[in-house]
Amino acid sequence: MILIVGLVTYGCSGSGTDTPSPEPVDQGKDRKAILTHWADNIIIPSYSSFKLKLDALTAKSDAFAAKPETASLVELRKAWIEAYNEWQKAELFDVGPGAKRAIRSYYNIYPTHVQGILANIENPSSSLETTVSFDRQGFPALDYLINGVGTTDAAIVAFYTAPDAGAKRIAYIKRVTEHMQSLLTAVITDWNGAYHNEFITKTGTDIGSPMGELVNGYVLHYERYIRSGKFGIPSGAMLNGVVAADKVEAFYQKDISKRLAQTAHQAVEDFFNGKSVKTDAEGPSFKSYLNALGAKDSATGQSLSKIINAQFAASKAKIDALGPDLHQQVIENNQAMKDVYTVLQKAVRMLKVDMTSAMSITITYTDNDGD
Amino acid sequence: MPAFIDIYLKEKTAAASLAVLRILVGVMLFASIVRFWSKGWIDELYIKPRYFFPFYGFEWVKPLGGYTYLLFAVCAVSAVFVALGLFYRSSVTTLFLSFTYIELIDKSTYLNHYYFVSLICLLLVFLPAYVCFSVDAYRNPEIQAGLVPKWCVDVVKLLVFILYFYAGLAKLNSDWLLQALPLKIWLPARNDMPVIGFLFNYDLTAYLFSWFGCIYDLTIVFLLLNRRTRLFAYLTVVVFHAITAILFPIGMFPYVMIVTALIFFSPEFHQRVIAKVSALFKLPQNFLASKKSYTFSANANKWLFIGFSVFFVFQLTFPFRCLLYPGELFWTEQGYRFSWRVMLMEKAGNAQFLVKDDRGKQVTVDNTEFLTTLQEKMMATQPDMILQYAHILKDFYSKKGYESPQVFVDSYVALNGRLGKPMINPETDLAKETESFRAKPWILPLNDEIKGF
Repeated sequence: MILIVGLVTYGCSGSGTDTPSPEPVDQGKDRKAILTHWADNIIIPSYSSFKLKLDALTAKSDAFAAKPETASLVELRKAWIEAYNEWQKAELFDVGPGAKRAIRSYYNIYPTHVQGILANIENPSSSLETTVSFDRQGFPALDYLINGVGTTDAAIVAFYTAPDAGAKRIAYIKRVTEHMQSLLTAVITDWNGAYHNEFITKTGTDIGSPMGELVNGYVLHYERYIRSGKFGIPSGAMLNGVVAADKVEAFYQKDISKRLAQTAHQAVEDFFNGKSVKTDAEGPSFKSYLNALGAKDSATGQSLSKIINAQFAASKAKIDALGPDLHQQVIENNQAMKDVYTVLQKAVRMLKVDMTSAMSITITYTDNDGD
Repeated sequence: MPAFIDIYLKEKTAAASLAVLRILVGVMLFASIVRFWSKGWIDELYIKPRYFFPFYGFEWVKPLGGYTYLLFAVCAVSAVFVALGLFYRSSVTTLFLSFTYIELIDKSTYLNHYYFVSLICLLLVFLPAYVCFSVDAYRNPEIQAGLVPKWCVDVVKLLVFILYFYAGLAKLNSDWLLQALPLKIWLPARNDMPVIGFLFNYDLTAYLFSWFGCIYDLTIVFLLLNRRTRLFAYLTVVVFHAITAILFPIGMFPYVMIVTALIFFSPEFHQRVIAKVSALFKLPQNFLASKKSYTFSANANKWLFIGFSVFFVFQLTFPFRCLLYPGELFWTEQGYRFSWRVMLMEKAGNAQFLVKDDRGKQVTVDNTEFLTTLQEKMMATQPDMILQYAHILKDFYSKKGYESPQVFVDSYVALNGRLGKPMINPETDLAKETESFRAKPWILPLNDEIKGF
């Protein structure tokens, strides 16, 4: 080892005259700085912001449970929408505590399983900790519970005020929110505990390193949960052209599906650019790292980060052009949905192939498009 | 046979050199297999996959399912036998066959150094590496010999020379020398290493490594051959391969090369090694005393000469077959394998397949239903594997009721920092294309020139 160090040092001091002095050349390549910025200014604050919304949601659901009526239902629904929207900004951190606890699987697997929810209502001891239970809880289950059990608010309230079954049904809402709370608390506790140090000090890029895991989770999120989940599957752009409008996110609420997608897409873009959740200022990020590495299209000389940002912008424009209700969009003009899928697919490749290749990070997740 | 060849073939050298090589190869291979086994790779790479990518012409090599463990066990045991020099001819033949069989099962696991190990084992099958310091020679003193024909050691040196020199030639290209690619991509990923990590933030380091690596490969064997530079050269070998071992996940390769390069040391060196080892383990010392000289029969000599000549003509020419193909070698990879092209490319890709028939059936393939992560990764950047996979899909969907299915691929590949682009013509029905040594016209051009080899 000493020999190696000696040789390398010799090799470099041998040409010492033209070795650049250790000026900020390498700051952009400092992965510890990036990881620290991610943890302290993006990931943990995102979870904290979301915690506030989830607390509000819990409070409103408790209020609704105490007094199930139209007014408290409307309040609950508002809080649910705000929390669901905020979750889109935290779902992409599929690394460390969040990944370990599979929080996104408990929070946002849709379409939700109505029969499973009804069965769980009947059986209060049913487990919410199994993979089978993923699609019977979280935001999509709440979507059904507060928007889907009746066609009008009065009918929904009636569902919970029914003399025999009402209490059980209300209890399930509580179970769902409580499980979300306990998961989030555990994830936040881990982030504020030992994992924080692990995340910022394990600076490798190999398989299993925090950055490797985060990049894999990030690309997977964009590919499977935004491109496929929000657009590809409902529009039938994937899955052999089978159109499935009822597989949109927030199916029962309907008019927020585009907003959720926009928020999720913006979160991915902001994360790419290292935008601080606290200050909105950009910090060390994929963008700065790729720029420091000099990643560019050798044909045109344009930087890879610019190319990716341009693709994000193109994707965003296509998403913005959709109607607020993606279910309706699929029925009325599905081509626009498919166009979004196509433009997102281009960004997927840039992230999955160009970015990871430039960063020398191995993509290890297995993508399961389709079923 | 010309006189000078005749004279050369009669030259002698110490049998100890071959004995040391035999032991080191046996031990090294045994260790490799134990390592491979303990990492769970037998299951992961040879049992779990549902489909395999055999080499062109070796489609008859089939995976063995659960018996793969047996195959590895046979390989490991024969490696030990080779090291001991026990039932040498049979054990080294078994070692060569079992190891090579394993390597031929799936292209996804192709590594140049596995090929090198196979070739070394093949050479050893025909070399008298058992006449000195072996159980065979201990049990049957009749076969003991202190000397062997010099060419028996020289062929090993020649193979090592080809490996290094050709690896060096392959680095004489504009990406490697002028752009310092792919090291410029790979090194910054290791900038968090203690002490030396910061150096990898500088492009200059990537250039130094690139040029040093190229010069090293081209010259190292000459420096090892020369008595005066040998020790320095060998230290360089150790340092060079140690660095690559620390920096890159390349498994046993560095150690294989560090060990193999010992063949360049003098006969006396190898004799001393054996004397030391004998003393250490209190083994019989009489091997080195043998003044007998191993000789092949005239007939064997003739056939070995022909056989080895064919072997080396092949080794010298086969790596140049890439010149017969149009297009950029790194991009098309036509003639890329078995040519000592090591660590030359950062290549990543993504391939999405569409299968359809004329009756309106259509499916976008989920690669994970067919391939392992490694297989998918390898397939996505290598045209011949894309073709093989297309045929796997064709057969699968034929059975699923598709009427002569057509298979199309939407591919995207990034090479050495170039922005990704389609590698395969998306209009080509790959189900209709077949593998051969001919150029594959459905590979789209890179539209960029990598100058040099």
